[in-house]
Amino acid sequence: MSEKQLNHIGKGYDRKDAQEKVTGQAVYVHDMEVPGMLYAKVLLSPYAHAEIVSIDCSEAKKLKGVKAVVTGKEACQRVGLYMVDKNIMAGNKTRYQGEIVAAVVAETEAIAEEAVTLISIDYKELPIVHNLDEALEAKTLVHEDLHTYEYLKGVFFPQKNTNIASWNRTKKGDIKKGFEEADFIFEDEFNVPAVAHVPMETHVAIAQADPYSDKIKIWSSAQSPFAVRQLLAKSMGIAKSNVNVIVPYVGGGFGGKAGVHLEPLVSVLSKAVHGRPVKLKMTREEEFNILPTRAGMRARFKTGMTKDGKITAMEVYHDWDSGAYADYGVNVGKTAVYSGAGAYVVPNIELHSRTIYTNKVFSTAYRGFGHLETHWAVERHMDMMAQKLDIDPYELRMRNILKPGETTISGELMYPTTGDPSACLNAVTKELNWTGRKSAEDRKREWKTGKVRGQGFAMLQKAPAMPSYTSTAAIMQMDEDGHVKVMIGAVDFGQGANTIMAQVAAEELRVPLEDVEVVWNVETDKHPYDWNTVASKYTFMGGNAVRKAARNMIQQMKEVAAQVLRCHPDELTHGDGYIYHVHQTHRRISYVKLSMGYAYENGNGIGGPLISHGIYMASGLTNPDPETGQGRPGLVWTFGAHGVDLEVDVETGEVNILKVVSAFDIGKVINRKLVDGQVFGGIVQGVGSALIEGYKFDGDSKLLNPYFGDNRIPSSKDIPDEIKAIYIEEPETAQVDGPYGARGIGEHPMISVPSAIGNAIYEALGINFHRLPLTPENVALAIDKHLKNGEE
Amino acid sequence: MCSTEKVTGKNIEKCIEYTESGLPKITIRFEVNGDQFEKHVDPTMTLLQLLHHELKLFGTKEGCGEGECGACSIIMNGKAVNSCLVLAAEVDGAVLLTVEGLGRGNELSILQQEFIKYDALQCGFCTPGMLMSARSLLDRNPEPDDDEIKEAIEGNFCRCTGYVPIIAAVRSAAKREREELK
Amino acid sequence: MLSKFNYVKPETLEDAIEFLASNPGTRVLAGGTDLMVLLRRNLLIIDHILDIKGIEGLDRLEYKEGEGLYIGAAVLVNEVFESGIIQEKYRALSQAAGHLASHQLRNRATLVGNICNASPGADLSTPLLVYNAMVHIQGPEGKREIPIEHFFTGVKRNALKPGEIVTAVTIPDMKEGDSSYYKKQARVKGHDLATVGMTIRRTAEKETFVAVAAVSPTPIRLHELEKDLKNRTFTEETALWLKDEVKKHVFPITDVRSSMEYRFLASGALAKKIMTAMMEEGVE
Repeated sequence: MSEKQLNHIGKGYDRKDAQEKVTGQAVYVHDMEVPGMLYAKVLLSPYAHAEIVSIDCSEAKKLKGVKAVVTGKEACQRVGLYMVDKNIMAGNKTRYQGEIVAAVVAETEAIAEEAVTLISIDYKELPIVHNLDEALEAKTLVHEDLHTYEYLKGVFFPQKNTNIASWNRTKKGDIKKGFEEADFIFEDEFNVPAVAHVPMETHVAIAQADPYSDKIKIWSSAQSPFAVRQLLAKSMGIAKSNVNVIVPYVGGGFGGKAGVHLEPLVSVLSKAVHGRPVKLKMTREEEFNILPTRAGMRARFKTGMTKDGKITAMEVYHDWDSGAYADYGVNVGKTAVYSGAGAYVVPNIELHSRTIYTNKVFSTAYRGFGHLETHWAVERHMDMMAQKLDIDPYELRMRNILKPGETTISGELMYPTTGDPSACLNAVTKELNWTGRKSAEDRKREWKTGKVRGQGFAMLQKAPAMPSYTSTAAIMQMDEDGHVKVMIGAVDFGQGANTIMAQVAAEELRVPLEDVEVVWNVETDKHPYDWNTVASKYTFMGGNAVRKAARNMIQQMKEVAAQVLRCHPDELTHGDGYIYHVHQTHRRISYVKLSMGYAYENGNGIGGPLISHGIYMASGLTNPDPETGQGRPGLVWTFGAHGVDLEVDVETGEVNILKVVSAFDIGKVINRKLVDGQVFGGIVQGVGSALIEGYKFDGDSKLLNPYFGDNRIPSSKDIPDEIKAIYIEEPETAQVDGPYGARGIGEHPMISVPSAIGNAIYEALGINFHRLPLTPENVALAIDKHLKNGEE
Repeated sequence: MCSTEKVTGKNIEKCIEYTESGLPKITIRFEVNGDQFEKHVDPTMTLLQLLHHELKLFGTKEGCGEGECGACSIIMNGKAVNSCLVLAAEVDGAVLLTVEGLGRGNELSILQQEFIKYDALQCGFCTPGMLMSARSLLDRNPEPDDDEIKEAIEGNFCRCTGYVPIIAAVRSAAKREREELK
Repeated sequence: MLSKFNYVKPETLEDAIEFLASNPGTRVLAGGTDLMVLLRRNLLIIDHILDIKGIEGLDRLEYKEGEGLYIGAAVLVNEVFESGIIQEKYRALSQAAGHLASHQLRNRATLVGNICNASPGADLSTPLLVYNAMVHIQGPEGKREIPIEHFFTGVKRNALKPGEIVTAVTIPDMKEGDSSYYKKQARVKGHDLATVGMTIRRTAEKETFVAVAAVSPTPIRLHELEKDLKNRTFTEETALWLKDEVKKHVFPITDVRSSMEYRFLASGALAKKIMTAMMEEGVE
């Protein structure tokens, strides 16, 4: 890594899109109107599991202004990222309450809304698979034809005649032997409910499907235009090159817009109205009820420990309640296989991660991609084992924490430059001033005041979960005035990717930041490929690609300049908007003079418009072994820790978070303001999962809370009193193969926030919680039970 | 759509506009961001729909349609309100301010500048509503403390920022307004 | 929203009542914060919407010494919250108003609208109950008044007859030494409906009034408990006793918002906290 002075990297620049967003100029698909556009509304299934016997659309079709009514019979295409298990509209049966069973296209939203009420459907209710236990019993199957579905073989493992969409495993060492070596064996079970992403802009898409060819044009509030292109083409049975996906500003994603959602449906609807553009915008209720969530999940840990607190073996079951379809959920399940036991050395492990179908709204990618859930379990489990072993929880973690030379549970070797989990834990416990557990006497004394304090902490880790050959590309072109436009395939939906890439480009090109623009509205016909904007990988991958594109542009300039200056390109350097000789610095040519080629005085022209590109291919990744999960799936690991200081009102059960301190081994902070934004936002979203959020279903698996009224998220009053972020930027442990040593951080601030809170609540109350959310109700009822059992 | 079948020269003043569904349209005269308007609106139209469909002002956003999330917040007659719950018909005689009206001339307002400086936005969808709640706060209380800021934006959900930079931006804007605007 | 309604904005109360009498499919619009949600979810289909905000005098908020407080039907919740005289004399009402939803909603919602909606957990109900508020009604048969306690008749049901509207709520004047306090338990610290809401009022003569919301089909006064409290001094022991005792006087249910068990616990916690807060202010 260069020791050179960095001009733009590390500076907290304002984000480039800020002005458009604070003036109301920024256009989102929610706002868009396209010439000739019609409006669609959908009908939801009222039943969690039912056969669709017949649909009568005749009344709906008669309503003035209705252009088409479409049901699963006409829209029978299938879609699926890894497992093609979902019809774009329910076919002969519906598998969750909320599933789309029909759609109307009309001249106005109001007409479409009225027409939907005129559709009558005959259902035959089927037995419902309510939860994981019923799913595993398999008396009723959500997908009877599971074994006939197309899926990614060797990566996912559907179990025929069950409700298991995939059974992935890690197997390392010999757990039988490991448990024999243990002095203690501890078993714990943990649960988290499904939660919603709640992007402020609901899902929305506009499709224009040419009636005379296979061409389809899509405008979508999406994170991954190239994934939309790929999956839409696949489900419609057309070539990918026929699909153009345009993404303007996006009002939040959090993983909920990572894949393909409304786009295939609106494409079919557009075809049904002879190619007129059709817009489908979800209401907030539909966003909660139709669109997928983070999976509910149950984790069972069985860990063997020596009396000195060293892990000898682990047997883990992560069971994901993925609802009616596998979508991205199945990949969340697979990911747990390489990181689902925490940032620790586990010499012997069998980890089972099962993605399971039930009759509920289905699951998809969500910030953290399964890590918040697995870390709720493992970090609470570590704390509980520390309690039983009577070892300080910091000590217990340090005795097992991953260090260089150790291997992860998927057999990946840790290098110093993989990152430093110990530094993160140390930073957090130091800031908390952790001196050990609270004594029972202190707790008893505080309890009398009605408010008890507690401190807790938890580790976190994550690497991207993506195909082993994931790549990204960037294109750069220079305008006549020497300004540079950068085209990337990733979408900036608020995480700041465009500003970061502009900083990288400006750094390499040695120009002011104002001279670089990353072009908005990613369009698959015009922008270069990026897999999905997910996984906290874009700073690393995109940064590498943009650096290469910039260096390539400089090289092109040097080659033309060398001719003009009559020297070898290697004698040239660049800066201040000039290519110039390293020694005789007055021999120079401006970028502007090279931007469209160079024109000699006599009129000869050489060179041409400056256009460059850079690509980055994920390096050295392997597919996990189907049997053992061993391999190298993790491109870049970011480690971190959260520490929490909180207070519990023992009468109302309310938890007041006084301080959160979080440390991340980020390698290099490219823009402090933007990174802070991810940290504050991720922590508060984590507080939402910890204290507030959770889907509720009734006995018929119908969603009880599809409104903000009963499905709340943190407001300005629900945030911790203080948040402190610590970024570890040590050159020895930075990401050497990343841009300036940088790693990703988009998801990590959310992971382990509930774990740290749960651990702190134990300190405060002496009560161990196994389930989220820790609402005032759940905490108060647990306290009441605890007191009735005479423990205080 | 006129209620008479043929508009003769004699009956032209009596022509009332009706909606497609046969409801008499309501005439409203109002001001938005300093501009005067007269519109004939469907009685069931909301103020948010008026902004979007009649005035083509899309800065104000729909987040839930039920007054919970605040993305549709604007200032009506000096008060911050959720425009999704106001009928367009109720806007007769009203003075409205939306996010498009915050800047002055070629300059962003101090509040908008501080939002940028403190990075009080990420995806930007809650931002117009958030700015209007902040604007309303500073109009009422030029020196708010952090609790008062949180109270003012309590009805504006943000999923991206965690609110911390927003509170900092409003605090800073309050100070600058006190110092720079006399 | 499927409703296709006409919008009318009468200028006098008589016109309004006449319209209501001749047009049964009409709903009164004040702030709209409840009505618009019902319409949007198609839980109500209406033919006409009658905006009362054009009627003279309905926006009157006035305190007269000796008479008490007059709150017209169009008075906004934020006006109640920000009123100096209400903060001084009817403190619990001010507290409850400040806890109702968010600032933007309080700029539209009306106090009268909140009680007409008659949610079991109506935020403004418990202060009005302890202050013995009167509800003033006008209809085709003329004017009448009923005590607030009789106004709530069931879950989201009030005592209005067809064609009637509430024109105002009045509260008697409070004497020196009258103290009241309101507290609300919710699921979050931000704006939320009440899991339990409670107000306690104590006069200088130790007459006590206790009202609770969200623990029965309507907001209620706990008359038996009030009698008992009259004979007790506010002390730490009384507060501890009250925490358990109040549970015997409430009838919560389990719903999507909260379990019955937690509503019992929260009722006890709120009662103890309210009494403690009042004690800290010198109430005995």
